[in-house]
Amino acid sequence: MASTSDWHTVTVEVPFVSPKHASIAKQVIDVDKELQPQAVKRELTVDGNKLVAKFDTLTVRLARLTVNAFLENVDLVVRTLENFGEDAENPPVTAA
Amino acid sequence: MAGIILPTSFIMPGRLKKPTPLKNPERPYIALGLEGSANKLGAGVIKHSEDGTATVLSNVRHTYITPPGEGFQPRDTALHHREWALKVINDSLAKANCEVSRCSCRLIGPGMGAPLQSVALVARTLSLLYNKPLVGVNHCVGHIEMGREITGASNPVVLYVSGGNTQVIAYSRQCYRIFGETLDIAVGNCLDRFARVINLSNDPSPGYNIELEAKRGKRLVSLPYATKGMDISLSGILTSVEAYTIDKRFRSDGQPRDENDTDIITPADLCFSLQETVFAMLVEITERAMAHIGSKEVLIVGGVGCNERLQEMMGIMAQERNGQVFATDERFCIDNGIMIAQAGLLAFRMGQTTPLAKTSCTQRFRTDQVHVAWRA
Repeated sequence: MASTSDWHTVTVEVPFVSPKHASIAKQVIDVDKELQPQAVKRELTVDGNKLVAKFDTLTVRLARLTVNAFLENVDLVVRTLENFGEDAENPPVTAA
Repeated sequence: MAGIILPTSFIMPGRLKKPTPLKNPERPYIALGLEGSANKLGAGVIKHSEDGTATVLSNVRHTYITPPGEGFQPRDTALHHREWALKVINDSLAKANCEVSRCSCRLIGPGMGAPLQSVALVARTLSLLYNKPLVGVNHCVGHIEMGREITGASNPVVLYVSGGNTQVIAYSRQCYRIFGETLDIAVGNCLDRFARVINLSNDPSPGYNIELEAKRGKRLVSLPYATKGMDISLSGILTSVEAYTIDKRFRSDGQPRDENDTDIITPADLCFSLQETVFAMLVEITERAMAHIGSKEVLIVGGVGCNERLQEMMGIMAQERNGQVFATDERFCIDNGIMIAQAGLLAFRMGQTTPLAKTSCTQRFRTDQVHVAWRA
């Protein structure tokens, strides 16, 4: 993308316990589109057990806001995975 | 609380009876409902058994309460929901005594953007983690279905009154049609904002404190009465009642200055007058909708629906028409997770699920956009 050459780029790598969890996080966060698609481009990929997020933004301020919101979302997803991940993979034997 | 399914013969006397398209489930279904459209965060677990009955297994709610004189901001509310989401879900599952792995589906309800989005994130994560279907639910349809389930009303005119919505709704041909609504602010918003003006507490809710205050009111001050056809307008009334707080007869402490000070207006009088005026308007448009569709049942849902004075006024109107009012208490009136579970499970049993890519939230999702497949 030539037009985005002078944009600001931020790449964030978040490690997860397993590639499966990283992939869940990617799918969950990918659903909500960026609110300003003309000024913020987001690309989420999974590399092994890492979630790699690449942001291209028009201004530094937008980079800060976007990454901030992204990390808040990651935090919530990670806490959910922490809380229920164990239970989902090894369901208690009592479950009918 | 065990639910009741009425025989179809109760549906609308004098009309052609159609069999309900909803079949009894071949195995019990359990659903977890997550709700986070405003300042309340709720999680509820409901079970539909093979014989068609529904059982509420748990209904947990946590409310974000702001200091007196302040409303809740989307950003702070989202923060509250993020903090409490896991705790509320865990509580709800523990009370229902079931593991997530046994639930058939889980659901989210559309309102205010940021808070909703954080709850949706959790719902999606759980759905992927346990490989369970997700069903998106319209918030208002959730209220209606829960109200019908709890009260057993079969085909009522629905008055949906809450902090964000004011609508008169009736069912017709697999759609909840909006007969009348507010043209500007919601009735709950009107009451809450006035509670802020006179500095009432937001705990447990500003509307409840208005109701208590109104019981001590003696004087009915004149306020505009603004029904416009089937619709109502409330913002002008709010401005008018606010104007009384700078009137020279207004005593903010409610006490006369001396024994000759008799011509006074107290905050209690204003709460009383505000309630009487706006509730009269709501009763009027509801009565007109009842006359139009020929129904004798009224169902009141939404946060303002637990106001006993509104229920009483509606009851008088219904009695005059030989009708009946159905209302629920605060557990099911105020936003809760269980209603999302109920409406979602009904949709799920009719084969509706929401693909993950479509589970984004929207702040604009009207009641009549929902296809109500589960009713005849």
